[in-house]
Amino acid sequence: MKEDIYIQCKEVSIGYRERSTSSTVVKKDISLHALSGEMVALIGGNGIGKSTLLKTIAGFMPPLSGELLVRNRPVSDFSVAELALEMSFVSTEIVRVANLTVREMVGLGRFPYTNWFGKLNDRDQMIIDRAIFQTGLSGYENRPINRISDGERQRAMIARALAQDTRIMVLDEPTAFLDISNKYEIVRILHQLVSEQGKCIIFSTHDLNTSLTMADRIWLMLEDRVVEGIPEEMASAGYFESLFPKNQHLRFDQERDDFRIKRENHGVVNLSATGQELIWAKKALERLGFKVNPSLAVSQSLSPSVSPSLRRPSHPSRPSLSVYPSLRHSVPPSSFFLEIIQQPKGWNIIYSGISQNVATLEDLCRTIKKITTQPVS
Amino acid sequence: MRLFRNSTVGFILLMVVLALLFMLDLLSGSVHISLYQSISTLFHPSTSDPQIAAILFQFRIPKAITAILAGAALSVAGLQMQTIFRNPVAGPDILGISSGASLGVALFVLSAGWIFGGIPLFSVAGSWSIVMAAWLGAGCMMFLVVMLASRLRDLMTVLILGILISGAVMAVVSVLQYFSNESTLKSFIVWTMGSLGSTTRDQLWVLVPSVAVGLLVALFSAKFLDAFLLGESYAKSMGMNLRLAYLLTFASTSILAGSITAFCGPIGFVGIIVPHLARKLFSSPLHIKLIPATMLMGAIVMVIGDLISQLPGYSTTLPINSVTSLLGVPVVVWIIFQHKKIGAI
Repeated sequence: MKEDIYIQCKEVSIGYRERSTSSTVVKKDISLHALSGEMVALIGGNGIGKSTLLKTIAGFMPPLSGELLVRNRPVSDFSVAELALEMSFVSTEIVRVANLTVREMVGLGRFPYTNWFGKLNDRDQMIIDRAIFQTGLSGYENRPINRISDGERQRAMIARALAQDTRIMVLDEPTAFLDISNKYEIVRILHQLVSEQGKCIIFSTHDLNTSLTMADRIWLMLEDRVVEGIPEEMASAGYFESLFPKNQHLRFDQERDDFRIKRENHGVVNLSATGQELIWAKKALERLGFKVNPSLAVSQSLSPSVSPSLRRPSHPSRPSLSVYPSLRHSVPPSSFFLEIIQQPKGWNIIYSGISQNVATLEDLCRTIKKITTQPVS
Repeated sequence: MRLFRNSTVGFILLMVVLALLFMLDLLSGSVHISLYQSISTLFHPSTSDPQIAAILFQFRIPKAITAILAGAALSVAGLQMQTIFRNPVAGPDILGISSGASLGVALFVLSAGWIFGGIPLFSVAGSWSIVMAAWLGAGCMMFLVVMLASRLRDLMTVLILGILISGAVMAVVSVLQYFSNESTLKSFIVWTMGSLGSTTRDQLWVLVPSVAVGLLVALFSAKFLDAFLLGESYAKSMGMNLRLAYLLTFASTSILAGSITAFCGPIGFVGIIVPHLARKLFSSPLHIKLIPATMLMGAIVMVIGDLISQLPGYSTTLPINSVTSLLGVPVVVWIIFQHKKIGAI
């Protein structure tokens, strides 16, 4: 399929025009584009102007300056009726109309095509059926939209936009307020529309994980500028780290495609464990604010015949102690150093020369918490 | 398809009920007329008792027709306002549209008193001028409320605003009365005491076409009103011409509420409650069904109100506004409790 440029912003300023002279600029110098067959995720902090940008693209408010092209034609050239044939919109507004069935609401999407009285013909009915099917709402046609779940209502709103049969769809936070299953379902539906019908879908989201794994393009709104690119490029260029410059407690986790809260750093743990136990013990220790020594955690396999006493730090010749003190992490002088060894039943904790056995992972966590909250003088 | 068949049955049923109530309304009044007498007079006016014919044709039929028109007009005006403002308790009286119409008439009658020394209010020309003054007053008020409403997102605030505006308008009307001479004041007071029964046959020639035009415009804006259900931004994203949609609904509500206020005086609560009854009965918010349903329901409610106002067994009639208020207030309270989340219509 030949790719066409569907949306192009050239040095666009967005904002609110107040009176004829003054205006409030929300963001300026926005240069972005979106192609056919692309799913574009618009990412940015609260109040940075995501909604304003989407409203400007959807033609609700004119750009203050610059050029905004919809399929190579300035958006200001379109009449409202013409734009409705190119672009559909799903807002954050929750529509609660009593007795309006899913099918009736999806039918409203045919507004640009129906006659003066809104009569739906066979073709309209077919398109409505298809939109309902594609959003997985078959069987919900006659349910009133104020009596279905948030996820179903959001899908119905997407079905209405689909019934409008436009090449471009703009959605303002379609996954907000939804549980994780519904979030993924919405993104999956959007992705399917993009890949099967070559639509261009632009949606704003706070859900970095889904957008980085599913979107073809990221529009990232930062404090000082707006950048775009494919997700992997954006991540490797380190743009996400600058998404929340004011928040010292967040860090971007490249492996997980998401932000993590920076934890207090208590120090380093040498962990000897295997299999599932290794994975969960590592997670638990990280949650408690330790860096798990990865080289040891991966390479060390537990040999049941070795007694815990032989693994004490006082025996530097043992392999488990070869990384002590860890050089891989810059450990502050006051930090803790722990060694944890999986045993046939439970765990062995070695801390400042004292060895202690615990039965479960929960006991392990409790013991470590006790150590970290009562630091040795 | 099931719904369509249901609503067709519903429409036929409502029309039968309306026809029966219309007949009942012709029979009730201080002079006893039997069913046989009224039917024979209706179909053979020349051979029947001239007195009964006079009562029927000069008084009861115009009054019953006025009741039907008033009910249909106020209810459809209320329905459009509820959709436009997305507010279940919006209506021509609550948002001050009716008082705007009163102000228009007051300004016209009283200033005409100053300029021409009084006008023949009850001639056809006088009726048309009054109706147009009422349309203008209602239209200006509608425009004012929408202008203010677009700046205020909160719907309850819009309602309070409407109440404040009608208070101010009524005050202006009183001030105008204070400064006018006796003869114009008298004609104005006579006008404010308007009721369903005060409409003459000549005035019906003004009222019927006005209400018909208003209702037709409403029917032609049904698709726009459907789009308004989802809110203004969705409506715009679907290609709705906002200006045309507002123009049509403004024109329709102003004509409907203005005409009725001009001839019958203020009639409260019908405009609020009837759209809800229609929604309940037809369980569809789409206006192509809801507008005819609201028209029929409004007509029925108003004829029932008229029957009650005649106090069967007594020779006096209650003001129609008192009847609709007494019946309407509990229903409005019920609506408010039904819509604890204001904004869902």
